[in-house]
Amino acid sequence: MKGFTRKLKPLEVLAEEEIEAIHRGTLEVLWVTGVRMEHKRALQLLEKNGCKVDYDEMRVRFPQGLVEECLRKAPSNFHAPARDPKNSLMIGGNTLCLAVAPGQQTVDPDTWEPRPATRKENYDGVSILDALPTVHFFSPYTPYFGFEHVPPCMAMLESLAARIRNSTKFQCVGFSNDSEIFAIKMAQAVGIEILGTCAIAPPLSYYKDAVESAFRFAEAGLPLRIIGGQVMGGTAPATIAGAVVINNAEVIAGLVLAQLIKPGTRVLVKDFSASVNMRSGAPAFGGIEICMHNAASNQIFQRYGVPLDDTTAYPNAKMPDYQSSYEKAFRVLVAGLSGANTLLYHGSVHGELTHHPIQAILDDDSAGMVGRFMEGIAVDDETLAVDLIHEVGPIPGHFLDKAHTRKWWKLEQFLPKAADRLTYPEWMSTGKKTCLEYARERMDEILASHRPTPLTSNQEKEVERVLEEARKYYKEKDLITEEEMTVYRKAMQSPNYPYE
Amino acid sequence: MGTEVLEELSKAITIYDRGETERCARELVQRKMDPLKALDVMTEAIRQVGDGFGRGELWLPDLVGAAAAMEAATPIIEEEIKRVGATRESLGSIVIGTVFGDIHTIGKTMVATLLTAGGFAVVDLGINVTAESFLEGITEHHADILAMSALMTTTAPEQRKVIETLEREGLRDKIKIMVGGGAITEEFAKSIGADGYDPTAPGAVALAMRLMGKKQ
Repeated sequence: MKGFTRKLKPLEVLAEEEIEAIHRGTLEVLWVTGVRMEHKRALQLLEKNGCKVDYDEMRVRFPQGLVEECLRKAPSNFHAPARDPKNSLMIGGNTLCLAVAPGQQTVDPDTWEPRPATRKENYDGVSILDALPTVHFFSPYTPYFGFEHVPPCMAMLESLAARIRNSTKFQCVGFSNDSEIFAIKMAQAVGIEILGTCAIAPPLSYYKDAVESAFRFAEAGLPLRIIGGQVMGGTAPATIAGAVVINNAEVIAGLVLAQLIKPGTRVLVKDFSASVNMRSGAPAFGGIEICMHNAASNQIFQRYGVPLDDTTAYPNAKMPDYQSSYEKAFRVLVAGLSGANTLLYHGSVHGELTHHPIQAILDDDSAGMVGRFMEGIAVDDETLAVDLIHEVGPIPGHFLDKAHTRKWWKLEQFLPKAADRLTYPEWMSTGKKTCLEYARERMDEILASHRPTPLTSNQEKEVERVLEEARKYYKEKDLITEEEMTVYRKAMQSPNYPYE
Repeated sequence: MGTEVLEELSKAITIYDRGETERCARELVQRKMDPLKALDVMTEAIRQVGDGFGRGELWLPDLVGAAAAMEAATPIIEEEIKRVGATRESLGSIVIGTVFGDIHTIGKTMVATLLTAGGFAVVDLGINVTAESFLEGITEHHADILAMSALMTTTAPEQRKVIETLEREGLRDKIKIMVGGGAITEEFAKSIGADGYDPTAPGAVALAMRLMGKKQ
């Protein structure tokens, strides 16, 4: 099993009575104001189970007993099987599993300006992430939202196909225009499980498509990620405590629904909070207050016994630099210390707008450092090394030639792969390279050497069959124009299809 | 006579007091004061807030708060303008909204507020606005400019649909169209046949001026 194990007591940012106050606030919001759910079948199911439902307003008010019962029914950890069992995960408990932080576009690694990713870059991106040991699973997207020459409605499914083909790790999918129907079919045809998505439209609202997605995944017996999405000061109160209350109410509404659709449904709740940038109105992803919000949610969901996914580690910086490093490092460190179960971390360059493998490789190092920290300090007779200290004694004694050192240093030190650790003379004589250049070299090495385990020919046929079924479905629904289809079909004639 | 009410109205906007702006508007109407003068005072107050925002002294909650305060008085004053048969002078009339399927309000409200501050008569149709509602709004308010927002890549194509609807109704040539929002790029704006795009709210005001053939 992969993932980082936290052997430290989790960081507590809330006192006992503060947790209680937030829980009471959550229950009050769920009962008094309730949540809007634009889905008739969901409203009927919730009403049948004791919720107060206003069908005109599509508003559901949740009684405390039902909320607490459903929180108990949701598994506190669950198995997330990967195509290669070596990569299967246990999500929950005291583990942190890291995943890809996707971006709409890629960047030019010389200018760091955004541009659309090609098909090849999507496939190469997956392959690099498949090779990075601290990428424990994949979030939706490939890592890019868009594929060159692929109609937008097919991007989600082309992305899943690319990830199944070029990685043996556990996969998540999103939902858009019924894409989840075909995602589930593709997974079933290949014989794997995937993690589905249901997203809230804050404040306190669920759109029909999101609820439909919850039904489809829960009914298929698949795990479900329930994603908040508040921005503090915009779609949630500006105060962290108030934002935690409303976010709790929003995600718990979805959790209750999932447990009623199918009791015991594996649920991963995502606290996807950001602040409003009060200058531009855009989400300000890099803020320390997001770490505080996530830490509070981690503490509360440990109490609930439900696995939690923290806000995706999106920096506000535009390229890997000092700002980007602290924005990302604080997020992953706080997630690790405060008991997050998952975090989308690797590769995001600027917000959700851009991703690049060089960034993912840099993130592999900082992720490894946090994983190392979470393991804690081994303390026993051998690591205390008192006998060895007696043996070595004062100068001229030293430890460098000891078997104890040869055994232990590699276990105690974490060795980053793309960090500059040279002396000044070495650094000057090798062109003053920074971690960016080392990461680029590592990217080229991975691309030249890493060969993802291919699908069997039967699995490959099944993937293409489901893609073709989806293409026809969207063509009939007029979501693909003739012009788009011509470009798409032409791209599929490439001799290296599907890889480029 | 009554200038103190105008001062109170202006002040209420700059301290984001919706109840007070509404009260001032009703008092102005009751006293039969010139509604065009009231509108000027409100526009000037919003301009001051907009300038403060531009200088970096005020922030988004201040800008949106002032806009909301003004919004409480605007329908009352506009009703009075209609009743007395006066004509409102502005740099141009703009109908603005976030397209159907998209519920993002912040960027659109920022642009609407700064356009108002810039001297345009702005009709904000809100969020999730269908092509038909845009069409009605444009006809009813004799709009010179249509401004559309879309934040998501999935809703951006709706802007194209609105433009096609206007073409079908023979209205496309009578109006300038500007588009914006997180999902929009210069290339996309060109591809759907919009007359202009700008990625920022202050830039949108300059763009509207250019589209109206005005100098800043």
